[in-house]
Amino acid sequence: MTLRFALRMAWRQMRGAWRHFLTFFACIALGVAALVSVGTLAASLDGAVAREAKALTGGDLELRSARPLDAQAQDALARLRVEGARTTAVRELAAMARHPATGATLLVEIKAVEPAYPLYGRVQVTPPRPDHPLVADATALVEQPLLDRLGLAVGDGLLLGAVPFTITGVIEREPDRAASFVTLGPRVMIDAGALEPTGLTGFGSRVRYRTLVRLGEGASARAAHEALERAIADPSVRVTAFDEARPGLRRFFSQLTTYLGLVGLASLFVGGIGVASSVAMFVRRQLSTIAVLKCLGAESRALLAAYLVQIQALAVIGSLAGAGLGVLVQPALVRVVQPFAPIALEPSGDVWTLVRGLLMGTLTALLCAVWPLLAVRAVPPSLILRRDVQAAGWRAPRPWAAALPIAAGLAALAFWQAGSLKLGAIFVGAALVALVVLAALARTLILLVRTVPPGGGLAWRQGLAGLRRPGGHALRVVVALGTGVMLLVAIALLEANLSRQIAFERKHEAPSFFFVDVQGDQREPFAGLVTRASGGVAPALTPVVRGRLAAIDGVPLSRELVEAKRAAAPDKVWYFTREYVLTFAAEPPAGTAITRGRWWTAAEAAQRPRVSLEDEAARHLGVAVGDSLVFDVQGVRLEVEVMSLRHVDWQSLAANFFAILSPGALEGAPLTYVATARVPAAAESELQDQVVATFPNITAIPVRAVLERVAALFAQIGFAVRLMALFSITVGLTVIASTLAATRHQRLYETVILKTLGATRATVARAFAVEYACLGAVSGLGGVLLAAVLTWVVHRFVLDAQWTLELLPLAAGAVGATAVALAVGGLATLRLLGRAPLAVLRQD
Amino acid sequence: MIQVRDLVMRLPSGGRSLTILDGVTFDVKVGEVCAITGPSGSGKSTLVGLLAGLDRPTAGSIVVAGVELGRLGEDALARFRRETLGYVFQSFHLIPTLTAAENVAVPLEIVGVPEAPARVRELLAEVGLADRAHHYPIQLSGGEQQRVALARAVALRPKLLLADEPTGNLDSATGAQIIELLLALNRERGSTLVLVTHDEALARHAGRVIRLRDGRIVNGQP
Repeated sequence: MTLRFALRMAWRQMRGAWRHFLTFFACIALGVAALVSVGTLAASLDGAVAREAKALTGGDLELRSARPLDAQAQDALARLRVEGARTTAVRELAAMARHPATGATLLVEIKAVEPAYPLYGRVQVTPPRPDHPLVADATALVEQPLLDRLGLAVGDGLLLGAVPFTITGVIEREPDRAASFVTLGPRVMIDAGALEPTGLTGFGSRVRYRTLVRLGEGASARAAHEALERAIADPSVRVTAFDEARPGLRRFFSQLTTYLGLVGLASLFVGGIGVASSVAMFVRRQLSTIAVLKCLGAESRALLAAYLVQIQALAVIGSLAGAGLGVLVQPALVRVVQPFAPIALEPSGDVWTLVRGLLMGTLTALLCAVWPLLAVRAVPPSLILRRDVQAAGWRAPRPWAAALPIAAGLAALAFWQAGSLKLGAIFVGAALVALVVLAALARTLILLVRTVPPGGGLAWRQGLAGLRRPGGHALRVVVALGTGVMLLVAIALLEANLSRQIAFERKHEAPSFFFVDVQGDQREPFAGLVTRASGGVAPALTPVVRGRLAAIDGVPLSRELVEAKRAAAPDKVWYFTREYVLTFAAEPPAGTAITRGRWWTAAEAAQRPRVSLEDEAARHLGVAVGDSLVFDVQGVRLEVEVMSLRHVDWQSLAANFFAILSPGALEGAPLTYVATARVPAAAESELQDQVVATFPNITAIPVRAVLERVAALFAQIGFAVRLMALFSITVGLTVIASTLAATRHQRLYETVILKTLGATRATVARAFAVEYACLGAVSGLGGVLLAAVLTWVVHRFVLDAQWTLELLPLAAGAVGATAVALAVGGLATLRLLGRAPLAVLRQD
Repeated sequence: MIQVRDLVMRLPSGGRSLTILDGVTFDVKVGEVCAITGPSGSGKSTLVGLLAGLDRPTAGSIVVAGVELGRLGEDALARFRRETLGYVFQSFHLIPTLTAAENVAVPLEIVGVPEAPARVRELLAEVGLADRAHHYPIQLSGGEQQRVALARAVALRPKLLLADEPTGNLDSATGAQIIELLLALNRERGSTLVLVTHDEALARHAGRVIRLRDGRIVNGQP
């Protein structure tokens, strides 16, 4: 037996049966397109971050801290400058900007830059300005939203603190603004020398100090990085090189593209159902050819090889077409993602992504096709001796021994795409559960139809009978449609839950404002003003001081220790390096949930300083009740004993603290106050304007507006996810249409018989409608059930968030599925109704 | 060439077991032309199918060209078929997606004969269809289709040619031509021919006739 025979047979078969494989082709192509478009998006995000790394970082190196650099750090920088490096200091802080005439105010992010800024990249400004100096004296560059919100234009004045600035341009792009996706407000860029006079950097204010370094020609960023880390002992000064630019940004993108990729993989796997069913149908049609070939002396293995070659060839062509489609779709995806990417994205055709997509497509097709193809081995050559009746009734034994390797292969593909064990496991688990549940539902439906004596009219009886048509179309339709419904409803449920969590109106404990930097002597007048402006709501004032963690249980937090923690859990290291906002309290704040230890008594508080720690922070710091912590409060070391751990629901957005100290612990510390107030929505902007007018140093953070920004980001992400889900839906519909089309011949025959017996077209159409509606309803029910379970799992184990059952998406899913089944089924069989009975009967 | 001993074939039918062949024993010598006749349902087709190893008998043994078929597995039977015999079906069983030439080429390609295209041309010329090589089965008449099937059956010069009602689906004139061709092809190659037919006139061409009725051999009786 030769390979040549297999190849030749494959080619000839394909030539004759290509039309049959349109579904196969479409399923694979769409699935691969989904994966390739996401993969190339990921590649272009990666490429853009790498390309813009120096501009994103602001230099070859960046030093970042919450306090001005100490002498040690300054010396180290001076040494670099001697070696030819250029450095520039940037300070960033959130503060209030004010319209000089109307008094309207807005929370903005101020950036104070020196003339040397930027070291890499350009700040794009309209109208164009010389690069140096960007800003000078009392001029400011702002982002467009500030002009819109305050009703200002270029050339107008703007108050920062008590100092007037003139707006000289609008910032279109700022190379190193990628710190966070949700900003507190629009950017205002001013000259470094103009910051102090505003009074915003006074006592207690939160300034982020960044020093950007551009090394001399030929200097190694790595060497300079190591030298700086050696020279600067303080671990809270973060040193980063451009090649590790924005790890948070990269993580976010890689997570986003991973999730999108899983939605894409779901399309490919739904496509796998289409592949399996079209191959099964193909094998049924080929039964007599297979038997003849066996009669002529072809071995089963050779035939299997011939068919596998054929299927693989189709899969490769389908995958290639899919890859092409994916590359075509990618610009649309890039456009959707661009608004929350801080860098300019360009569509890319990453070769590895294409290869990977092709592999995914061909392997999925192979694995899904093997199951029905194995039947080729079992076809008895004697089939041609018996007459057509028997041949049509012949069924291949299920190749159960192959089930495990096939399932394992598909699972391996899922893990490969997911890129993580946890996500892969969730995906595989979800796929298996979906398959089992939907298959069980389909079987139950068929069983019910079989056992329950059908009542009602002809259409009803005929429709129900149609469900148990041989060939298993019910199973395939329910699995394909159910999976699609599951995906769509799950996405809708996730979005509904997320928007519920960030909907301000639902957060009854959330204040309308956080006011920060209220000074001690401003307390009385501030409280009075808020009370008057809000119609009698007194603000809650909490004394705070900022301090960073210096030691845990006697072990100093050295740079080495912090770097080790960063390597272990990069997104948890901030527990070690952040500036903690410390407060003190004699009594536990209302609603405190102690999880370990207990609150202090007055006597215990008097003994020595104690702390109540938030439990998650304690977990990541590795701290238990009884351990000691040392905080560095403005240069003063404060040792405290952990006396209790508390659980904090941060999502309530009520004022909360990681560390609450016992009274007296902060005696003599330079306290400022944080105030919160919940006021009626209508009074919000008026209150903000009045507070800022009276106390220019106080920053008012409007919670509602910030949540709205978060919601906008989520909406954008949700759009990207839905775009990907569209692929799955299209594939699902293709599978359904082709499955129903496969029952065409039988339906045509039934239609004709019924019409011959005097049934009107309407009756026949009603019978089909009953069948489709049943299939749709069962798929819909199964899909929404699975979606509810899936989103619960995702909330519980991935997002670690609370889950609420949203009824609207569930109902919409169930109803939608029924409608879709009716529509697709109707379209697939509408033409049958018009056929003249005699013509059909004569053919038979 | 063929030794058949105590052959029994039962098939399940509607929950009961239906006996198709019931203790059939006969020999066919090398080079012989043997006709198997009998009314429909007498087990003729089943018998010739069993000779080709297309199915397994319920009991009894079949030895063809010195090979005990009962000892062979599915794939070994396939190899046995392509090495030993050619098969002509009543309903032609050409592969609809292949042209006439490609259909004839199939057995040659299964074995991997290098000069297949030339052999196919010769074979088609021999059955008088040189000019129809690139037609698909659906474009050929019944007689033409059966001639393609004949060419396919003798392509590998089998020692044994089995023909199951080769004229059953053809009108009598065409049928006669096919039989002449079949006998001629067999004569030229010196192979053994077993021919199933219910047509007594056809059976007269054979050197030997085995008559079946209700699964038994009834030679010599009316």
